[in-house]
Amino acid sequence: MVKWSAMAEGGQTTIEVDGALREELEAIVGASAVVSHRSELKVYECDGWTIEKSAPDLLVMPRTTAQVSAILKALYRRGLGFVPRGAGTGLSGGSLPLAPVMICTSRMNRIEAIDLANRRIEVQPGVVNLHVTDAVKGHGYLYAPDPSSQSACTIGGNIAENSGGPHTLKYGVTTNHVLGVELVLPDGEVVELGGPAEEKLGYDLAGAVVGSEGTVGIVTRAILRLMRAPQSYRTILALFDDVDAATRAVSRIIASGIVPGAIEMMDRLIMDAVEAAFQVGFPPGAGAALIVELDGLTAGLDAHCARAAELVNAGGATSVRMARDDAERQLLWKARKRAFGAVGRLASNYATQDGVVPRTRLPDILREITAIAARYRLRIGNVFHAGDGNIHPVILYEERDADETRRAIEAGREILKACVAMGGSLTGEHGIGLEKLHEMPLLFSPDDLRVMAELRSVFDPSNRSNPGKVLPQPGSCVEVAAPRRQVPL
Amino acid sequence: MSSDLHAELGKLLDSDRVRPPREYETAIARVVAEPANLSELGELILKCERDRVMIAPIGACRTILHLRSQPVDAAVSLVRMPPTISHEPDDMTVVAGAGITLAALATALGRHGQYLPVDPAFPERTTVGAMLAAAQGGPLRLSAGTARDFLIGVQFVGHGGRIVRGGGRVVKNVAGYDLMKVMIGSFGTLGIITEATFKVRPLPEVYVAVLSHHAEMLEGFEAGFRLHEALPLLHLELLSPGLRMPLARDGHYLLAAGVGGNRPDVDYQVDEIRKTLPGSVVLEGGDAQKFYRAVRDVELPETSVKMQISVLPRQLPACLKAHAAHFRAHVASGVAQAALNGDAQAVVRLRSAAVVARGNARVLAMDPALRGAAFFDEPAAGVLKLMRGLKTAFDPAGIFNPGCFVGGI
Repeated sequence: MVKWSAMAEGGQTTIEVDGALREELEAIVGASAVVSHRSELKVYECDGWTIEKSAPDLLVMPRTTAQVSAILKALYRRGLGFVPRGAGTGLSGGSLPLAPVMICTSRMNRIEAIDLANRRIEVQPGVVNLHVTDAVKGHGYLYAPDPSSQSACTIGGNIAENSGGPHTLKYGVTTNHVLGVELVLPDGEVVELGGPAEEKLGYDLAGAVVGSEGTVGIVTRAILRLMRAPQSYRTILALFDDVDAATRAVSRIIASGIVPGAIEMMDRLIMDAVEAAFQVGFPPGAGAALIVELDGLTAGLDAHCARAAELVNAGGATSVRMARDDAERQLLWKARKRAFGAVGRLASNYATQDGVVPRTRLPDILREITAIAARYRLRIGNVFHAGDGNIHPVILYEERDADETRRAIEAGREILKACVAMGGSLTGEHGIGLEKLHEMPLLFSPDDLRVMAELRSVFDPSNRSNPGKVLPQPGSCVEVAAPRRQVPL
Repeated sequence: MSSDLHAELGKLLDSDRVRPPREYETAIARVVAEPANLSELGELILKCERDRVMIAPIGACRTILHLRSQPVDAAVSLVRMPPTISHEPDDMTVVAGAGITLAALATALGRHGQYLPVDPAFPERTTVGAMLAAAQGGPLRLSAGTARDFLIGVQFVGHGGRIVRGGGRVVKNVAGYDLMKVMIGSFGTLGIITEATFKVRPLPEVYVAVLSHHAEMLEGFEAGFRLHEALPLLHLELLSPGLRMPLARDGHYLLAAGVGGNRPDVDYQVDEIRKTLPGSVVLEGGDAQKFYRAVRDVELPETSVKMQISVLPRQLPACLKAHAAHFRAHVASGVAQAALNGDAQAVVRLRSAAVVARGNARVLAMDPALRGAAFFDEPAAGVLKLMRGLKTAFDPAGIFNPGCFVGGI
């Protein structure tokens, strides 16, 4: 028997996850799909937000909608909460368990239907993002949202977080590509929201589910929109003396009326890490790199590309080069998308922040980040979606150094506050999760938050689905300054 | 009753901001209130909740005129609210008051070579609020999507007179629940939208319209689908014969494709279209613009019922062939506006066909004699329960445009 002390925020007190529940869940999904050993559960104690950890008491891995429904009914009868999890690549602690049972959808990984003529694909939530595009690219189609973790992250997780990626600058984020979802409500009822047609009947509830961070139930199927792959790409790598010059070049490109597929930036610290890992050929001495990718019809692309190159040159680029072929383009993107991993070479721990500012404020926020890094005596790298104004400061720290960990958390908060002060947002694509819970009042009024809570209650009146996330609970102003709960080894 | 209400609301707002309905508004409301700012609107809502006064937002009255079979007590017009248009060209975002017309917004954005590519008919008579509340779109949905793809922030005044904001002013933002999606297409049933923030796009350097005539409807659709597979068109419509369209040919379906980009992009696409459709006509410059406006604003002939259907794109031809007398189809989006002859049964038949084609249909306008038929399909029971829950959560007093939305919400 395992005891679990729930967070006060979830409204639940001490709960016993007993043998009877385990047996019932095993009867639903099979013994091999229920995990209750501490050592095995340790894998699930956090997602990509590693500052806080807390393992679930029980992990269930269903394969079908009917199983998810049966599991939720069993939990509902016992008054137990649950936390949904995809691949655990989230970066805001969204799948950190504050409820006893974790439901992992990674085994629900079937692509159920591909309809190229209508550009629709129906998938289970555990399908890996990249596998959606892989399934259709031979026919000249793709699924547009492309988070950096796309070779691991799942569609279910993407829907929960409304994930973005570099190419969302032109093509939009997950919500722009999800037409409908099948959702199992916290009481086990299955509903189909939205559908393959473009217009919605009644309220756009599917739209409300996307980005709800697992707090309204479990998505068990999604109908996604496919796009025709662009005829051609042109990928430019431009180097600058400093980030200031690079961000000003971004503003010039945006203001010119060109809509690139992506504009990504890396600063010196990230370039060093990437260079060590992938040998892209970044010269020493450059202070910032921009990747500008244009896509579209081959006919007009060279003219767009020449204009973009002109703008980065005029913006003070010290070197501008174009990817010669697809292999070089792929290398640049591999370097960009695995930059976070490469940072692992620089420090034992890092926390990736996710603020947004209006695009014209990028130079200001980057200067502010430099000042914050100095103030908190930390190293902070920057690798981000410059075209969207979506910054990703990577704060390096040493987990075993309690003081440095505290400073890393506080510096992250300062950065988010600065984003909000510049008219931006707390998160562009990683979600509020647990990480930014207490910053929500910076952005939203008590009335805004109350209405959001009311919206949530429509789906989950008893607060069972991923309790303690997204919205701060009134009166529970817990300051997270240290790991919330260390998992006993 | 209405004179009492007039006096009561007059105490709250200056009396010149409460007026009797104009002739075309009498079917919708007994009085019209025109609050001048958010706090007046909040006060008004509070009072209406207290006194159980049913209210509904009106823009130019075009949607609600058809939607409501019974008038509400008071219509709320935002015509006196501050005419906010705050455009940040370098950020490519704009904040607009809900009472602003799309034409006024387009003028402001156009000064900086930008536009909001959501294009319902008659922008000079369509407000931002109406576009959002009634989920209106137009031809550009093919390349740009709909309002839900451009609305990045929303403000509305709801229950208790509270001013609520969702989203923000940045183009990428996942903080908090997506209130924008909830408000789009809510038909005034959850609160009154007062302000919207959009991301916008640069106007295409060149726009060209290419049109072709087709004796058979299915041939027209097939030609359209072929173009859509080959080219990233801005828009693609098929219009049935007999609509008042320039360059229409008697008895023929008109396929209208919009092509945009820089000059080489456009020339390439026009060449490709000509290869596929040798007889096609190419319009440039002012002629192209004029033709695009005609496609956007085309009015279907007066019939007993007009509906909008939205289905899987490839299923659209069969639905229209079986049930529509006249139509404008957004070919590759699976959306069409159709005029039907016949009685309430005709509505039911198109609706069933839409459901079979995995979509839905809603009435846009209906002969008063047919007013028994519901304007919206009925969602599945579990879904309707959630929708009712949402309505109750946002509008516990039940005063916001009650009784005419899905499931009688």
